[in-house]
Amino acid sequence: MKFKILAILTVLAVLAVPAFAQDNRLTVAGSTTVLPIAQAAAEAYMDMHPEINISVRGGGSSVGIASIIAGTADIGNASRHAKTKELATARENGINLYENVVANDGIAVVVNPSNSINGLTTAQLKSIYAGEVQNWKELGGPNKPIVIISRDTSSGTFEVFNNLVMSDSPVAAGALKLASNNAVATTVSNTPGAIGYVGLGYLNASIKAITIDNVMPTKKTIQNKEYPIARTLHMYTNGKPTGLAKKFIDFIVSAKGQEIVEGQGFVSIN
Amino acid sequence: MKRSFLIVILVMIVITSTNIKAETKLNMELWNRWTYQQVDGDVTKNEMAVKRGYFRLEPQLTSNVKGRFNVDFFSNDGSPDGAGLKLKYAYLDFNNLLPINDATLTVGLMKTYFGTIYDWSYPTIDKDPSDKYNFVSSTDYGMGVSGYLPQGYGSYAVAVYNGEGYKKTGGDINTDMNYLANLRVSPITGLTVGGSYMFKSKNDSDASDREEYNMIAGMGKFAFGAASITAQYLTKTTSYPNDNSLDDVSDSVISLMPMYKLNNKFELVARYDIYDPNTDVDDDGYNTAIGGVNYYLARDSKNSPKLMLQANYQLKSYEDDNSDDESTLMVQLRWIFSEEI
Repeated sequence: MKFKILAILTVLAVLAVPAFAQDNRLTVAGSTTVLPIAQAAAEAYMDMHPEINISVRGGGSSVGIASIIAGTADIGNASRHAKTKELATARENGINLYENVVANDGIAVVVNPSNSINGLTTAQLKSIYAGEVQNWKELGGPNKPIVIISRDTSSGTFEVFNNLVMSDSPVAAGALKLASNNAVATTVSNTPGAIGYVGLGYLNASIKAITIDNVMPTKKTIQNKEYPIARTLHMYTNGKPTGLAKKFIDFIVSAKGQEIVEGQGFVSIN
Repeated sequence: MKRSFLIVILVMIVITSTNIKAETKLNMELWNRWTYQQVDGDVTKNEMAVKRGYFRLEPQLTSNVKGRFNVDFFSNDGSPDGAGLKLKYAYLDFNNLLPINDATLTVGLMKTYFGTIYDWSYPTIDKDPSDKYNFVSSTDYGMGVSGYLPQGYGSYAVAVYNGEGYKKTGGDINTDMNYLANLRVSPITGLTVGGSYMFKSKNDSDASDREEYNMIAGMGKFAFGAASITAQYLTKTTSYPNDNSLDDVSDSVISLMPMYKLNNKFELVARYDIYDPNTDVDDDGYNTAIGGVNYYLARDSKNSPKLMLQANYQLKSYEDDNSDDESTLMVQLRWIFSEEI
């Protein structure tokens, strides 16, 4: 009996021959903010190198970093820095989370275009998201209840907003929490009293970006760090990137890659 | 059993009627296991059972407060209905409440941060050594602070517990609390060392049958590429402060567990435990050798298993030559349903 069992286990082990990663395949996963950059860069890179296959998927910053720790992606996109908990988990599992900065971004605060409000201070913004200010008229706007649109707590964009605007104090319980930048933009464009926040690349004509502390989120104000809700966007790898991951990231941070970054509405790191 | 189900239904009604606007994760996990055991050539067990199932709710009540509610249910020959039900977790995590970076205050029926029990993910079908050899219960009612060292160089926890564990058998009831401290450090990537201390007691301090337990766990883990090895040493000293006729008793466990990840689908695991229930007595312990394969049929977006097949062969050898070895083959299918609302 013992022999048979050991034999079965041995056969199973042999069957489980590792599927070695192929040199011409790259898997990228994570942040929905970084997703358009990764997708556009992947398309451009594959046009230049038809033999290469780059698979890009979203899921959020947490998924991007978890994928690197689990070894299921070569590059993990994140719109925030790795959390201490993630760093600790990675270290325990022999993974060296290495942060590659690929773009600058501002988190634009957006309202419905019908709203007469054109700007807020950081303190006013915090009061809105804390649920202390509930009607636009309290801020000199229309007599309309404020509909708070936020991101889910696993989102990197939420983490940065929560840190820079809310100082880690709670967002109002009644806030609508959505899973992507696109969902926030669409909801704000369809809801007259709504306020939300999206990555700069998601601004479009159906939503209105407002000033924060009298500064509009633009390429210039983000690069010179004048805009208060700015951040860097990252591609994480296990250690310094090597092989195809290195070539792809080198391409994104190159002049041509940064043109793609700007083409997607984000801000170059150069 | 009926009363237990009634409690579950009532709790679910309360939860669904509280209009939770925040995100809530729902989890359902089931372990279907076939166990075949032989002792001295005789078949002593050949059974299929739902060894464990749980239903879990994790509401994010505010951006800084998260809850976890977990009901475990399992096949139980001892119950007239053939099944058992336990409340396993019921706690709230408060983040950013304390003036310490990355610290969380936890209150309720919570994890016991001892040894490796609190992050044991069942790479072997067998339990974590602290659980298996009855050092600690995996959860208990209490309050604690846990967190991470800067830059992820480790983690820590301090906690106070009731001491009865979640099963509440009544065996350890007294007026004293249990105290725990735990520290893990990862000085270099891939190398983790840590230790835990817990003071536990049974019966009140003035009772003649008072028992006190001093428990220490030391652990080390080295992970490099697809391979890892985890080592753990557990020791418990039981003393009888109000009865001079009884000597202290120490028991110990040494556990080694190497693992090798073949790819994202398969991993090999081995484990060797040496258990000595009384270090002053010879030939009273036993050793357990485990070899196994884990096959991940499906994973979720965060790479957590959704469908997992485990096969373990386990050989339990007694130091006493008069006791026969036990051979056990276990095949287990774990499946997890998870949804966020």
